[in-house]
Amino acid sequence: MSNSTRVPLIVWLGAGAALAVLLVPVLIVVLAGLTAGEYLTFPPQGLSLRWVIAFIESPTFFGAYLFSLELATITMAISTVIGTMASIYLTRSRFKGIAAMRGLFMSPIVLPGIVLGLSLYVFYVSSGIGLARTFGGLLIGHVLVTCPFVIATVSASLVGFDLSLEEAARSLGAGPLQAFRLVTLKIISPAVGAGAIFAFIISFGQFDLSLYLGTANLTGLPLAMYISLRYKFEPTAAAAGIFAIALVVISMVLSSRLVNLRRLVASTRLRW
Amino acid sequence: MSVEVLAANLTTKRPRAPALTLGRDRRWLLAVPMTLFFLVFFAFPVLSLLAVSLDKPMPGVVTAHGDFVLTNYIRFFSLPQYYEAAVRTLWISAVSTLIAAILGYPLAHVVAKTEHPLWSTVLMILVLASMQLDGVIRLYGLMVLLGDNGLINGTLIRWHSIDKPMPLMYNVFGVIVGTVQITLPFMVLSLIGVIRSINPSLEEAARSLGASRWRAFRSVTLPLTMPGLLAGMVLVFALASSSYVVAALMGGWKVWVIPIHIYERISNSGQWQFGAAISTILFLINMCAVFVYQVVASRVAGGRV
Repeated sequence: MSNSTRVPLIVWLGAGAALAVLLVPVLIVVLAGLTAGEYLTFPPQGLSLRWVIAFIESPTFFGAYLFSLELATITMAISTVIGTMASIYLTRSRFKGIAAMRGLFMSPIVLPGIVLGLSLYVFYVSSGIGLARTFGGLLIGHVLVTCPFVIATVSASLVGFDLSLEEAARSLGAGPLQAFRLVTLKIISPAVGAGAIFAFIISFGQFDLSLYLGTANLTGLPLAMYISLRYKFEPTAAAAGIFAIALVVISMVLSSRLVNLRRLVASTRLRW
Repeated sequence: MSVEVLAANLTTKRPRAPALTLGRDRRWLLAVPMTLFFLVFFAFPVLSLLAVSLDKPMPGVVTAHGDFVLTNYIRFFSLPQYYEAAVRTLWISAVSTLIAAILGYPLAHVVAKTEHPLWSTVLMILVLASMQLDGVIRLYGLMVLLGDNGLINGTLIRWHSIDKPMPLMYNVFGVIVGTVQITLPFMVLSLIGVIRSINPSLEEAARSLGASRWRAFRSVTLPLTMPGLLAGMVLVFALASSSYVVAALMGGWKVWVIPIHIYERISNSGQWQFGAAISTILFLINMCAVFVYQVVASRVAGGRV
């Protein structure tokens, strides 16, 4: 008996409703960005690329898109390196305070973004270290919120790691770093890649931090869309959304080639 | 590497070389950058915000003085506009959490039980992509759907089904819909793992003993998935109560919840101390939710969590 036949109808209906809640708004953004009319109506008035072209020519939205790409790339590089290093320590050390350290590194997920942004802003201003309203200040916030995702992804691949592989390399004459590079890093590299992609996308879509840390010169796509949405529904913003959606979907397809997403999600069950 | 070199290495090195990258004693170096980074830019700023919230209110002044007074907290709990906002935040978050649980459970079940590799990957990509897509973009879609001139109201008016637009947005209803949309993926992701870990023969056993499908679900599957369900609910509650952007866009500044008050007090009035106090209260509410979760979870799981 196959599994799918055992799922009752009501469960299928519930799952369909949930998928609709998740996907219909995204579909609407895509249609709104491709509409031929001034705004989206039902049924649609036809498709055109006029808003996509308007987006590429718009200094506000295209500039914000490029800024988000730049910020997300730098965030990804930093988070992936320090997150992977910390994951190796967290999964291999027998130090008593490991749970507390892990808790500290994971806590940006539960600390409200608006509270973190405010804390950082107050810290920058009152300590006078010159990070208030700078690229560096915003970058630090982004690294904080993306690190938990790198740690969760990389730790998951290290938990089941067979240390005797590295021992074998050492006993065959490899130095400690060489053994690590040739054996461990090779085996965990897909998870490191997936963690990097997660960090990139989380940073790209990060809004709450920019409320306090962003400025007119430091406006990423989420903040630019939020500012425009408060006044009117610009189809140009929806066209910008299409490019963000494409980026997320491509990233997720790539990471699904690197790691088994379902196993990853199952193994990183959130603990409090 | 030639055989001779290898052999030489084997003989000169201890046969059971320590396997770990930098040797056992220097491994902690790996955690130094992350730990320093989090202490300086996370723990210290968050604790300073707590210190600021205990200062006497001084408009426009950001730096902490170390007054250690409860003025800001007393003010929060003595003015109805603030404590009512706390109550409103709590119940909107609770309702959204419940809806997310009811919607998320069936989807997580289907994702967990899909054995076809392609379909399971596609479903995972859809859930993860909808989690990681910028919330503002998803809210744009919802606003086009629910607005007064939006798809639903606009279409029904053109078909003469209704005369004036239904209030679907810029109210509590809109905020709840937005919150559910934003948080649903987190609920699904929390559930997939536990649902997969249940041995299906347990439910089959209950069925073969004559239990109806509903009964088998209620007395076997649901209790076993309770830890994941509760963990997902805490996460969704924490996200729901602290989202500024959902309340700002879907509530149109008409639904006054705590995150809106934080932003408004600081950006419009420069009341840093009071804003810091409201932030602390928001964080404490989330911590209370985690605490309630731990109590409930240890009770339902009999200490298995």
